[in-house]
Amino acid sequence: MSSTLNVVTSQEYKYGFVTDIEADSVAPGLNEDVIRFISAKKGEPDWLLAFRLKAYRHWLTMTEPEWAKVEYPKPDFQKIVYYSAPKPKKPQYASMDEVDPELRRTFEKLGVPIHEQEALAGVAVDVVFDSVSVTTTYREKLAAVGIIFCSFSEAVKSHPDLVKQYLGSVVPSSDNFYAALNSAVFTDGSFVFIPKGVACPMDLSTYFRINNKESGQFERTLIVAEEGASVSYLEGCTAPQFDTNQLHAAVVELVALDRASIKYSTVQNWYAGDKNGVGGIFNFVTKRGLCKGKASHISWTQVETGSAITWKYPSCVLLGDDSIGEFYSVALTNHKQQADTGTKMVHIGRNTKSTIISKGISAGDSSNSYRGLVKVQPKAEGARNFSQCDSMLIGQSCSASTFPYIEVQNRSARVEHEATTSKIGEEQLLYFQQRGIPAEEAISMIINGFCKDVFRELPMEFAVEATKLLSLKLEGSVG
Amino acid sequence: MTTVVAGSNLLADLLSGPRPAEWASLREAAELRLAGRELPATRDEDWKYTDLKVLASSTFGPAPKATVDIAGHLLPEMVGTRQVFVNGHHAPHASCASAVPAGVRYFPMSHASEACHTLGSIGNGAAKGLFEDLNTARFEDGAVILVPKNLKVALPLHLLFITKAETPIAVFPRILVMLERGAELELVEEHHGEGPYLSCPVVEVHVAEGAILRHERVQRESPEAYHLGTLKAEVGRGGQYHSRTLSFGARLSRQQPWVRLAEGAEASLDGLALLEGAQVADTHSFLHHAEPGASSHQLHKCIVDGKARAIFNGRILVAQGAQGTDAQQQSRNLLLSEAARVDTKPQLEIYADDVKCSHGAAVGQLDPEELFYLQSRGMNADDARNLLTYGFAADVLTHIPVASLRRALRQLVMARTQATSLGDLG
Repeated sequence: MSSTLNVVTSQEYKYGFVTDIEADSVAPGLNEDVIRFISAKKGEPDWLLAFRLKAYRHWLTMTEPEWAKVEYPKPDFQKIVYYSAPKPKKPQYASMDEVDPELRRTFEKLGVPIHEQEALAGVAVDVVFDSVSVTTTYREKLAAVGIIFCSFSEAVKSHPDLVKQYLGSVVPSSDNFYAALNSAVFTDGSFVFIPKGVACPMDLSTYFRINNKESGQFERTLIVAEEGASVSYLEGCTAPQFDTNQLHAAVVELVALDRASIKYSTVQNWYAGDKNGVGGIFNFVTKRGLCKGKASHISWTQVETGSAITWKYPSCVLLGDDSIGEFYSVALTNHKQQADTGTKMVHIGRNTKSTIISKGISAGDSSNSYRGLVKVQPKAEGARNFSQCDSMLIGQSCSASTFPYIEVQNRSARVEHEATTSKIGEEQLLYFQQRGIPAEEAISMIINGFCKDVFRELPMEFAVEATKLLSLKLEGSVG
Repeated sequence: MTTVVAGSNLLADLLSGPRPAEWASLREAAELRLAGRELPATRDEDWKYTDLKVLASSTFGPAPKATVDIAGHLLPEMVGTRQVFVNGHHAPHASCASAVPAGVRYFPMSHASEACHTLGSIGNGAAKGLFEDLNTARFEDGAVILVPKNLKVALPLHLLFITKAETPIAVFPRILVMLERGAELELVEEHHGEGPYLSCPVVEVHVAEGAILRHERVQRESPEAYHLGTLKAEVGRGGQYHSRTLSFGARLSRQQPWVRLAEGAEASLDGLALLEGAQVADTHSFLHHAEPGASSHQLHKCIVDGKARAIFNGRILVAQGAQGTDAQQQSRNLLLSEAARVDTKPQLEIYADDVKCSHGAAVGQLDPEELFYLQSRGMNADDARNLLTYGFAADVLTHIPVASLRRALRQLVMARTQATSLGDLG
């Protein structure tokens, strides 16, 4: 099946182009045959097919979660294309040259020229194009120190034991509605394995794009850091513009053994729909890290600027004694976007620590909610949590909400939560303008100051991109 | 969505008795809303942490009339301003309202005219809770207080609800307070009891423009009792409503205050729960900033010992257009024992951009540095711990305007925190 070239230019969403790549797709719809087709197409072992079918059968018994503060038409799961792979003969990014030069300038402005990954010097990129990984760079360099960084499908073939050992160990296939769906139909994703004692010599990165109009994106990421290993992983997301809603239901699992450290950074800029809320990605993602070993450390940093609906709670299960979980988040919503995002920190081991810094910015008619759980289990002696959730409202018809759940069952625990709400004051703007700084620039500076605590956790090239993304996203929202 | 609690006939049982004749249309409407409803289960988000299954195992009969000795409950500042209710029935011989100034209408609900349309209408914009409807359907009596325009009542009024049960009974105290424009009042509402019972009080408050109500609420129900209370308050332009809820008793208690603030209104909703044994105390508050320029302040503290559980769910809603809102909320919790548990969820929902809102929650134990400081001054470890625990609680009691009540509650907190040996801290 081939989709037609459909270049859409839009001032609002500057990634709104479609790449014409002949896709090898299955007809829309979901049933056991489709799952068997995906599994056969990818030449998977029987245990993986069994994993998928078990997840699918469980998914059939589940209902979509309704507790989040988001409203959207429920996706029709029978209209989604569950497998869409670009044909390998076509050169990658063939159509990038056809793209409007204006658009390329925007990419350059953001510091992420997608057609020129090498520009991100020292970053190894595993590009997931629709559902199948098309290229992986720096493989040899990483292999030399024993690091495995490849597409998920490849890992299933070359390292089946590792995949089998860890797949579903953090997010069980029955975890929630979308995780179950993902477990049944995931097509590809990234796999990272850092062996004992190895500090990954460079940041690893995956750039996800949703390209096929009817395809959902169900990628699966699994990162395992063995004893004393460390890695920083970057995930960036853009999607072309369609007026239908597309579903993105990913699962990310992180496992950190003794003293291992995983830093996972995301800049999510999926298409958010237009000003009137038409189109846009439904981003229903399950991300969870397991601090399995002693003194292990998992850190999530996210900058969420895209998607029509975001439903995402990157979490840490702090099982190992002295383990540390962190969550740094900036979520920006504009126009009709709705985001319900936050984290869960589950303290199980002794002397476990967690930090939550969440900055929500809402503008236009959007709705932005922080929802978080800090749970201290009875055995989590000496657990410590600090949470700070700040909201900024821009304009009179947006909303900001905070729903922190705090459950403490150990008296030696110390849990603190703080939240504030603020706006960009006329006085602040006037001050900037008096000094010759135009309003738009002033707002950008104020927002950057507001998000500073999160941005400084981002790897440098992401921090640059994030800063610029926020100003692009807010263009024209304050006047 | 409610889920069925296995074997629960509680609602049906409570509604099976005869419906009192007065307020028929109100009661009918409540019964209609209750039809087909079941006790909420922990699957309901609003009851996630408070399991009502324990209720389902008892059958609560109708409350018989009884007499009690109220000598121990009298407060010197409030001689001649009290209405007493025993087992939900007005106790005329124990009541005395001779000192209430002329103009204030202060009488049992059973004497009220049904033409009073305010009853059952406060907070009509919000959904009626199950226990609120249950009260409306079955309340026997309660208090009505009307303070006319610009009258500032000097003496505090004292409402005393006493329940005495040998076998499980259900009582439904009802209070209606209306302050006309510019009126001022101090109200003390106390709940005491002995034996096993279920009490579902409903308090309705209307504070008109510029009026001020200070409301002290003391819950000292029996250790075998269940207390599921609702409070609904509407505060008019520039009005003030200040309440303080002190929960000491009951095996399981839930306070559900709902307050709506008009333009420029002010509210404070403070709370203290002092828990031990297997007590469960739940506070679900809702502060609705419906109009611009209102301010609210909430400080909720829990001290949890034994295997008790404290639950706090504080929701603040700032409506669209409610610019200039100032809302501050704090949930502070002290865990004293291994098995104690706290679940807290402060919530902000904001639909206006020019606002000052903040909330905070903290759960922990006493600061080791503070303990060390006291010990370094020669205090032994136990005394230091008790003093700090007392201090944590006393914070909420400091501003109780009625001196004898403040003193009595401080004594109670001192006894509960074993701080009595430290001498008079009052």
